Amino acid sequence: MSYCVNCGVELDETAGVCPLCETQVYHPRYPVNHTASKPFPTNRAEVSMASRREVALLITVMFVSVALCCGLLNLFLRTQRIWSLYIIGAVLTLWVWSVPPLLKNIPLWFRLFLDVIAVGTYVFLIAVDLDGINWFMGLALPILSLLMAVMLFLGISMGGGRSILSGMTLVIGTIGVFLFGVELFIDFWITGAYHPTWSIAVLATSAALVVPLIVVRRVPNLREEARRRFHL
Amino acid sequence: MASEQQSKSDKSKWYRLDNAALMYSAIQRNTYSAVFRFSAVMTGKVNPDVLQRAIALTIPRFPTFRVKMKRGVFWYYFEPNDAPGPFLKADISNFCQPMRAKEDHDWLIRFFYYENRISIECFHALADGAGALTLFRTLLAVYLRELGYRIPAECGVCDMSASASAAEQEDAYQRYAGSVAAHGGIPRKAYSAGGTPEPFYTLNVTMGLIPLDALAAKAKEQKVSVTEYLAAALIYVLLERQRREGFQKKLPVALAIPINLRGWFPSDTLRNFILTVSPSVDPNLGDYTFEEIVTQVHHYMRLNVNRKLLQARLTGNVRFQRNRLLQIIPCVLKNPILGFCYWFAGVYPVSATYTNPGAFTVPTEMQPHIQRMEVILGQPYGNRVNCASISYGNVMELTIAGNIRERDIERELFRFLVRQGLKVKMISNREE
Ligand SMILES: [Zn+2]
Repeated sequence: MSYCVNCGVELDETAGVCPLCETQVYHPRYPVNHTASKPFPTNRAEVSMASRREVALLITVMFVSVALCCGLLNLFLRTQRIWSLYIIGAVLTLWVWSVPPLLKNIPLWFRLFLDVIAVGTYVFLIAVDLDGINWFMGLALPILSLLMAVMLFLGISMGGGRSILSGMTLVIGTIGVFLFGVELFIDFWITGAYHPTWSIAVLATSAALVVPLIVVRRVPNLREEARRRFHL
Repeated sequence: MASEQQSKSDKSKWYRLDNAALMYSAIQRNTYSAVFRFSAVMTGKVNPDVLQRAIALTIPRFPTFRVKMKRGVFWYYFEPNDAPGPFLKADISNFCQPMRAKEDHDWLIRFFYYENRISIECFHALADGAGALTLFRTLLAVYLRELGYRIPAECGVCDMSASASAAEQEDAYQRYAGSVAAHGGIPRKAYSAGGTPEPFYTLNVTMGLIPLDALAAKAKEQKVSVTEYLAAALIYVLLERQRREGFQKKLPVALAIPINLRGWFPSDTLRNFILTVSPSVDPNLGDYTFEEIVTQVHHYMRLNVNRKLLQARLTGNVRFQRNRLLQIIPCVLKNPILGFCYWFAGVYPVSATYTNPGAFTVPTEMQPHIQRMEVILGQPYGNRVNCASISYGNVMELTIAGNIRERDIERELFRFLVRQGLKVKMISNREE
């Protein structure tokens, strides 16, 4: 029989490492027995995420019935306009937001991508109905593209277990940049030229918030202090 | 033919949930069930066919385990389960999985075998450890009888020729609820021994096998019981862990220790009849030595585990259950309320649960066939670990089970026991 040199506990003859400290077992006179059966079975039973699938199904059924009802109602009520498309589009958008995340472990960036596409499609349908292809192409599309870029950036850079500090820095900074872009697009759409006003204030505020965060992040002592004070 | 008749007459029979079962049913969901497991490691390899036969013979004798859970308008209740089974299964490495409705024919108990080990998993709403152990002991006796040994119905083995008595099926909480109710104070947040959550559904189990005589001698040196000694060791380890984490603000470390009320209020019930007490140590008062913690736990138990206080607390719990306002809330809405109560009274002020059902005794004729006993307290409520122990013969088996990746709690606990001069043998289901 072998003992863990670290913990002093006796180990099972089949154990290759100590279960307490993961130190390798090496005993020249009692080599690890690989033929005997382990103290516990090694095969895992797969546990299905049944509950999630049920919820997804429930949401889908609810959305489909709402869409169907509105579609049917549209055949009798105010038939001159296809108003039901607004509701169907909204329901579709909500479906894209809520159901795929329940079903599979889709990467965050791809989910955000899908979410923005869904919003874009919805806005596009509205634009078609209102003969607003102009504002869709000129204003909505650029803003949505920017939103998508921003979301992708955040999704990718926030993954991989960042600290709360870096996370906050990234989010605040990105919001500032996004709103700056929004004003830029609006100005270009309305006047054809760029006259920055409120977005400068937003950008300045976010910079004012981000700079101390970066300083705290860079200076180890401050960072420790902040972590201690703000830990969750 | 006889069993058919019995199952028909059972149709009208149903059980109200007892006081403890209410909580376990309210927090029950597809991803969480309060489940515990007992195992007997036999001296020979388990014969699954014989064991399945033994299960089929034993289960009809225990109507309180032969049930499924149904939802009424206001409360859950148990109804006899006439489905085939429960069926013996080959064991798996992720123990104590949640009990899901409509899976496994609605059975709330499971049986497994692996090499020399026979295991039973039981939903806590059905029974507490003592009740489940009575079923398990009887099952082991029936199994050995099927193998051709003569095992008498004594020493806690139920008489298979008699049918279940009313006393075995009683709700002992209701019987002993008195006129004076105790209300616990406002719970105080305790240190939570958390860690990195493991993926759903994983239970990391580490067991230490300790010679009971040496352990009892150690406890005797301090003039305390083995339960108190091990509880103090666990508190000591958790205090050290909190100190290592190095936060300025320190929280008290408190254990929840279920007390088997049958020792205080005579009852033969096989259903739940437990109350938890919660010894704690507050590190804000200074650094405690192990001896001081042992004394603290010992005196806490002496002071709080007595007939009067237990009865008052039990009465308080039963009154809560009989509260008209609570009763008329529909079941669906009641679950979150009870769930919150469970969390607020049983999780928030508790660092870890430690349960010790004590020595497992069997008739002399059974002793040569059983090597040791094991116990696992299943999935903890939240990311933490639970601790349980059971002794048989001269082996005390101590389990740390949890759904966190870190293994420092078990490491420090068993290293501590080794430093105290005890010989510990480790087994674990963690992958290497
Ligand atoms: Zn080790």
